[in-house]
Amino acid sequence: MTKLGEITVEVKVIGQRAARKIKVPQKTRIADLLDQLDQNRETVVVRLNGKVVAEEERLADGDSVEILTVVTGG
Amino acid sequence: MLKCSFCGRRAVYNRRYAGTLLCDRCMVKSVERRFRRAMGEHRLVSPGERVALAVSGGKDSVTCMHLLADYCYRKNCELVTVTVDEGIEGYREKSLPIARENAELLGVEHFVVSFKQAFGVTLDKIVKLAKRKKTEFNPCTYCGVMRRSLLNQAARELGASKLATAHNLDDEVQAIMLNYVRADFSRLYRLGSKYPPREGFVPRIKPLREIPEKEVALYALLKGIKVHLGVCPYAGGIHTEIRDFLNQLETNHSNSKFMILRMFDRMKPRLAEAVPEFEMRECKVCGEPTSASICKSCELLQGLGLKQGQKTLISASF
Repeated sequence: MTKLGEITVEVKVIGQRAARKIKVPQKTRIADLLDQLDQNRETVVVRLNGKVVAEEERLADGDSVEILTVVTGG
Repeated sequence: MLKCSFCGRRAVYNRRYAGTLLCDRCMVKSVERRFRRAMGEHRLVSPGERVALAVSGGKDSVTCMHLLADYCYRKNCELVTVTVDEGIEGYREKSLPIARENAELLGVEHFVVSFKQAFGVTLDKIVKLAKRKKTEFNPCTYCGVMRRSLLNQAARELGASKLATAHNLDDEVQAIMLNYVRADFSRLYRLGSKYPPREGFVPRIKPLREIPEKEVALYALLKGIKVHLGVCPYAGGIHTEIRDFLNQLETNHSNSKFMILRMFDRMKPRLAEAVPEFEMRECKVCGEPTSASICKSCELLQGLGLKQGQKTLISASF
């Protein structure tokens, strides 16, 4: 159950695992979510509800977040 | 909603090192502008030249192919593309068709050269041999040396006056740091937007050198360019450690990568004093240019008990 001041977002890391629901505090920025998931913002592009967005955008309840790893060199 | 600093549309990217937000259109325009600026400022290509571009099928090389194809068309140059098939099962066979598909789309000639054909052995086989011999071994060392040699040969055979590679800002800064860590003056000196010309080597250019890796990826994504995003199964070791370190540094202190690059560019003219002059000669085994009696590719192959295979090479795929 979502607590007061919390929102639920659906997160999918492309190519890694199935989408999962994550609870985060209201007004969480995508950059904060990436930190929480141990994803470096320099290495990923994020789609919010299907659209590429800057990582400073804030999340809202029910948002769908896709994380695409783009830094692949070795 | 965050707005573009230039036109007010929805931002897709926060260019933190410049303090600007960019929408999709401004992002695409900005990358294209930077590419043209690099080409012009450093005079990387002149009208009438034939440029060979190394294309793996990954985002950097395919993006570079699209940008160079347009540039060469406007500047009356000729672009040809070359893919090196190292022989990595489950990896290269996925990226190669994407390189070919993009070349076809752009009407650019595409050629394939392989380790198997040129050296008589695949990278997979080299890795197996090294494991059996229990030598201290980094596949990237073998792959890098042999790939560079093969690309040079291919560019020469194709009559190219320039060999372009799609190294981006991140690649270049990683190479600078790696050579610092290894205290390798001569390799450090050879970095830059273009290499100093040396006999037997097709001059190399790096048009994406001042574009961060993430921006190259965003450009490809926003333009709908089909790229391969797979990871080489042999990636790892110190290269990956340096990459992760630099990405963390950039996250915590934006503009770090550009500052490292700028500092290196300022220091580079002075590095010449520290690099001993050497004469280029032909490798005793394969005839390729080298500063020693045998080239690095042959030295590595001989270390594994392998002989240099028969040279060349070119097989057109389009």
